[in-house]
Amino acid sequence: MEIKLLKKEIDQNQLFTDFLEDRIEGNEEYFSNETVFVKELKLFPIYIAKVDGVEREEMFLEAFHVIETYYADLDREILLNGQFWRTLFLTQFRDELLIKYPQIEEEKGFNNIIMKKFDWENYVYKCILAVQYVGSNCSSEEEKLKRYKLIIDNLDLYNYIIKYEIFRNDVFLINVLDIIDEMNLSKQLKAKIKGIEGLGKDERYGRRVIYEFNKSYPIVMSPMMSKEDLKAQFIEYLSIYTDVSHLKEPVH
Amino acid sequence: MIYKKDANFPYPVFASNVKTYLKNDFQIDLDINEDEKNFIFKFTEFEIESDFIKQLKEERKLQFILIIQSKDNWFTKIESPNDEITVPKNRLSLNNRTLIQVHIQAIESINFRNNEDLIPFYDAFKEEITVRKNGLIGYSNVLVLEGRFRKPLEIFSKRVDENLSSEIKIELGNETIELVFKDANYQFGELPKSSGLMLPYIYMGMQKALYQFIKNYGTEDSVELEYLDEPENLLDLKIFNLMRNKNVDELSIDNVDEVINQISDSMIGKYASTVREFASDGN
Repeated sequence: MEIKLLKKEIDQNQLFTDFLEDRIEGNEEYFSNETVFVKELKLFPIYIAKVDGVEREEMFLEAFHVIETYYADLDREILLNGQFWRTLFLTQFRDELLIKYPQIEEEKGFNNIIMKKFDWENYVYKCILAVQYVGSNCSSEEEKLKRYKLIIDNLDLYNYIIKYEIFRNDVFLINVLDIIDEMNLSKQLKAKIKGIEGLGKDERYGRRVIYEFNKSYPIVMSPMMSKEDLKAQFIEYLSIYTDVSHLKEPVH
Repeated sequence: MIYKKDANFPYPVFASNVKTYLKNDFQIDLDINEDEKNFIFKFTEFEIESDFIKQLKEERKLQFILIIQSKDNWFTKIESPNDEITVPKNRLSLNNRTLIQVHIQAIESINFRNNEDLIPFYDAFKEEITVRKNGLIGYSNVLVLEGRFRKPLEIFSKRVDENLSSEIKIELGNETIELVFKDANYQFGELPKSSGLMLPYIYMGMQKALYQFIKNYGTEDSVELEYLDEPENLLDLKIFNLMRNKNVDELSIDNVDEVINQISDSMIGKYASTVREFASDGN
């Protein structure tokens, strides 16, 4: 099917009102000349904040699955194009989204969920990168599911990795997730750092390890290192902040 | 991941913008082509001035890594600069600003006692310099692509002329293939799916333009594109670039339909799906 894309520059105030009153789809003024061809459309969770536990995991897995099945074949320039997704949210998916996310009837919710900038803080962006990165590095469904769960369980660290342009790369991400899994580091890395001078109020061990990798790049070419070498370096950086003598190779 | 700073490293780094090697030139250039699913990269230039570095590569003590940075980073090891590198289109987009660079990474720790390519400053203590395993040895220039791939529809323009004697006329303008319609309705301006239904006209326009191309630049009924000078006419140049970007080497009377298919991202396929949709709408 053919999707005509909305223009990039739109009057935001008018847009919110027109969205509520369903006056976008029929209004030619909103649309550009660009079109995109998609085989089939399906909505998935586009905002996964303020949920916990099983529900949160299910929402992420559903998003990953739908993106993988319906959208993963699209050229990347469409897949990572915020304008494409915004068009779908404001037109094709409008009705469904109003039911699933009633908070978008308020302008604050609308801006936060529908009009969110398309970068690492946007849940659709997060999920697309996850699908692509896991998909190009895993062959079996079990492997994929395992990596997906690792992303969900270590989301704060995942956010940090895709936030920094240096580390926005599939090989580095998968290696780090595997290291966390193999050495059972998830809980440690999420923990707040206490008792170290000069750090902010909400520093976590995981974020600081990535910070150290960031500092030493490219003298230490971390994304291109083998997993074993990366593991050793990871532990070394972690040891700057905490005692690591208890870390042993686990029995898998 | 692309490295552009002039920052100081704690050891000599091999790069054209760093003055620690006497022979410090490291230049790359690439040709980029594509087929339906992939981008294909091939080096047209890969010059390393330092013999020390070349020797280390022979000895497999270091490796070359090609980095492509667009919205994120994609990298791969390069065994030989003569190899072709293939990247799927769903993994990489070149429509945004794209940066390309080659990095040299140490596979094992490397001592510089035998490095004769450094500036004299290092002579006294170069044997004390060791780059650790996985350390950066050097980097090339950065290639910048400013979104060079264009969509075929930019080659077309449309207008209405009530005085036409036929319903539709296809004219080859100086810059575009013009689709001229006698009646505004014929270009399906009002129907929501207009762009898809225009495709048969676009197909006809492309045919006309390609036949003209053969007539202008070909010998007998065909043109070898590899050795053709860039056309001066703007429309011909656009078509020429489109064909070269999609790996078309030869255009002839016999293969016009094939070439249209190659350059137009399955034009007819999209048309078919638009029509099917109308049918199921019940309109």
